[in-house]
Amino acid sequence: MKLFLNLLITLSITTASYAAEIKLQNPATNFQAPNFSVINSYGQMIKLTDFAGTPVILEWTNHECPYVARHYNENNMQRVQKIAQDAGIVWLSIISSTPGDQGHVNPDKANALTASRGARPSHVLLDESGKVGMLYGAKTTPHMYMIDANGILRYKGAIDDIGRGMQFFNAAFEDATNYVSSQVNDLIAKKSLAIDVTTAYGCSVKYNYD
Amino acid sequence: MKNIFLACSLFLCTLAASNPVETGHARASLITNLQDSQQESFYVGVRLEMQEGWHTYWENPGDSGSPFEANWITDQGIIVENVQWPTPVTIPYPPLMTFGYEGDVVFPFKIFRAVDSNLTQINVELDFLICADICIPERASLSLDLSSATPNPLLDTAIAKLPTDFMQTQSFIDGENLKTRFQSTRAVETAYLFPRQDDLFVYMPSQELVQLSEDTYEISVPVLNADMGFFSGVLSINGEGFQVEEELQSVSNMSLWQALLFALIGGLILNLMPCVFPVISLKVLSFVSMGGDDNTKIRNHALSFVGGVMSTFLSIATALIIIRSTGSMIGWGYQLQSPVVVGILTLIMLGIGLILLTNINFAAGLTTMGSSVQSRNDYSGSFFTGVLAVVVASPCTAPFMGAAIGYALLQPSFATLPIFLALGLGFAGPYLILALKPEWISALPKPGAWMETLKQFFAFPMIATALWLMWVFMVQTSGDALILLLILGLMLGIAIWMIATFKGRWKWIGLVVTLLVAVQIFNTLPENTNELEVDASAEKWSLAIESDLQAQNQAYLINFTAAWCITCQTNEKTAFARDRVKEYLKDQGITYVKADWTNRNEDIAIGLARYERTGIPLYIFWKPGMHGSKILPAVLTEDLLIKSMQ
Repeated sequence: MKLFLNLLITLSITTASYAAEIKLQNPATNFQAPNFSVINSYGQMIKLTDFAGTPVILEWTNHECPYVARHYNENNMQRVQKIAQDAGIVWLSIISSTPGDQGHVNPDKANALTASRGARPSHVLLDESGKVGMLYGAKTTPHMYMIDANGILRYKGAIDDIGRGMQFFNAAFEDATNYVSSQVNDLIAKKSLAIDVTTAYGCSVKYNYD
Repeated sequence: MKNIFLACSLFLCTLAASNPVETGHARASLITNLQDSQQESFYVGVRLEMQEGWHTYWENPGDSGSPFEANWITDQGIIVENVQWPTPVTIPYPPLMTFGYEGDVVFPFKIFRAVDSNLTQINVELDFLICADICIPERASLSLDLSSATPNPLLDTAIAKLPTDFMQTQSFIDGENLKTRFQSTRAVETAYLFPRQDDLFVYMPSQELVQLSEDTYEISVPVLNADMGFFSGVLSINGEGFQVEEELQSVSNMSLWQALLFALIGGLILNLMPCVFPVISLKVLSFVSMGGDDNTKIRNHALSFVGGVMSTFLSIATALIIIRSTGSMIGWGYQLQSPVVVGILTLIMLGIGLILLTNINFAAGLTTMGSSVQSRNDYSGSFFTGVLAVVVASPCTAPFMGAAIGYALLQPSFATLPIFLALGLGFAGPYLILALKPEWISALPKPGAWMETLKQFFAFPMIATALWLMWVFMVQTSGDALILLLILGLMLGIAIWMIATFKGRWKWIGLVVTLLVAVQIFNTLPENTNELEVDASAEKWSLAIESDLQAQNQAYLINFTAAWCITCQTNEKTAFARDRVKEYLKDQGITYVKADWTNRNEDIAIGLARYERTGIPLYIFWKPGMHGSKILPAVLTEDLLIKSMQ
């Protein structure tokens, strides 16, 4: 009886906590990347499966985050975007900032930012609810994901090896190993990547946590 | 202020340095506890007074953020050590979690100076990330003139609060969590384990804390990677920090397939272990007696036996899964930790012995109860022999089995069942083959009068087993309780005799009376186990003993044993009790530690879990120079034991 009661209590606690929990998922590399659908800066619904047969790179971004700002101000992100674009890879910049928080933008502002920074994303996705971010376990801006033409998640993590720490603001991008641009060829070859998981660094994604 | 900021961004800070500096969202300053100019070591602290709602980070910032960086510019002869991180707090931004500091915080740096060095100005360039909802990198160039600085008590307060003490912990991976046990004599209101390494853990808003006993607590930290060999961090208990660092022994390096194979082999070898052997021999005899029978009958008997074995293993697995779901630590043979179970087993063994010896046709009087004396067409007899074989096998562990069962019980439930079934399959393997090829039975000796003699002889291993169980029972309880058990044995003897001798109504009346008396006595059997006697020749085992001995660079041999574990007892006699072994341990200065699991003991269960075991025997050896401790074979001889320690 006590056992049964225990089971019952455990069960009810588990169900209760699942209902209230906001949880980051943690998709595994070398497995199918989770599908999502979210609106882009032109009001179109974009699904990951729209790009079946093409490799896709996801970039979590927030233009006001000092880490992201430095990547764009020094043309580093644009350089990687160009390498991807030239290789025929779809680049999706995703903004998961909740309305009112840092980095949240309306569609016009998103397009203006793309133009003013000379960025080359295939789409800018406005994930106001944070649904896509949590599905992928995006923690920081930037946070990068690489998906091959078969829809297999091949990489998740930092954009480069500069990593956490204040050295970021002094380190030169030329001296760093860029995990994304250096592994584009293997991504196209649909191979598992030499480096597939790293710790992303940057500002936290501004999810709606209130 | 703005000028200083500009100057700094041009890396020309040293000249523009001052103290304190307003950085935007914080006031940064340098303080010291230097008391007199002769001191060779003292502290300098970087103090950050952050505005309300802003925070900066610990060395592992959590899901985002960055720890600060300090570049010291000092005169020759002065060495600045790395920062000593204060105990952090959790700063949640659900679903993200960060670790850091809010308000007014002091980061102490230990300074060493050569005696002849000048006490002059000490400078630091501080880069730090300060965040509220948003993050801003700020910097300050600070300088402090040591020749004129006055000691600031804030720094001593900060140093006193540093998490410098080590907390002895016992950790193991349990499914998707790292479970860390620690002791605290003060009541624990809140506890949080801040992991130092990246990417090993899921950073949760809170970590589940369970009080296991008066002073023992267990905290669960969800892991990202169950293969961690080592972790370190700061355990904050009621806001007070302790260093934790532990090497995890139980890295799951076995695959499910390997575990299944081990279970199969282990099950097969189990047939030869001392506790099962008599029962199995009886079964073999009964097959021999069927030598002339038709193959269908032999096959059906063999299959019934296999069925009995398999269903018993299935029941055990199910029971273990259910018990485990309540959070109890359990293991193979654990049921023998209950004197009541040991008592019942004693009576079963005794009963079988009596039936064999007297050669009475028990079956004719009562439903067959798993003895060899079964009616020839009654397959339930074979089935119950299968059940009985498994029941009596439970005190034994065969080689390979420990690892397989350990895997089964420490893995999620879906892996538990197949492994127990593989174990059953291995155990029943010979009979399964017999069922497939009944004609092979003719390879066995011809049946004859020798069988009756041998059958009677097998009564003695049975009674010997009963005697051993009585000893276990006595160790667990007391001499008085043992007498009660022996009286029950007497009642059993009377009952068997009555079944065999009387006919009709009287038999049943006699039986009911005997049974009533037996139940009455049975109810008085003690449930509680008494304190175990301590073996004077061995150190008493404790959860911390391994880390303690390793810290002292002291070689050790640990013997996980129990009175009810017959494999352990055999090893005691054939290896541990031998003079050569004792001398070897003495000569080599190896500490001999004994963990006695005769009675229920949660700590020992945890100790076993660290080696991915749930049953015994388990022998652990370590000597200085070895990276991790070593598991010795489950079946030992004098030579093997000494050899494996060389």
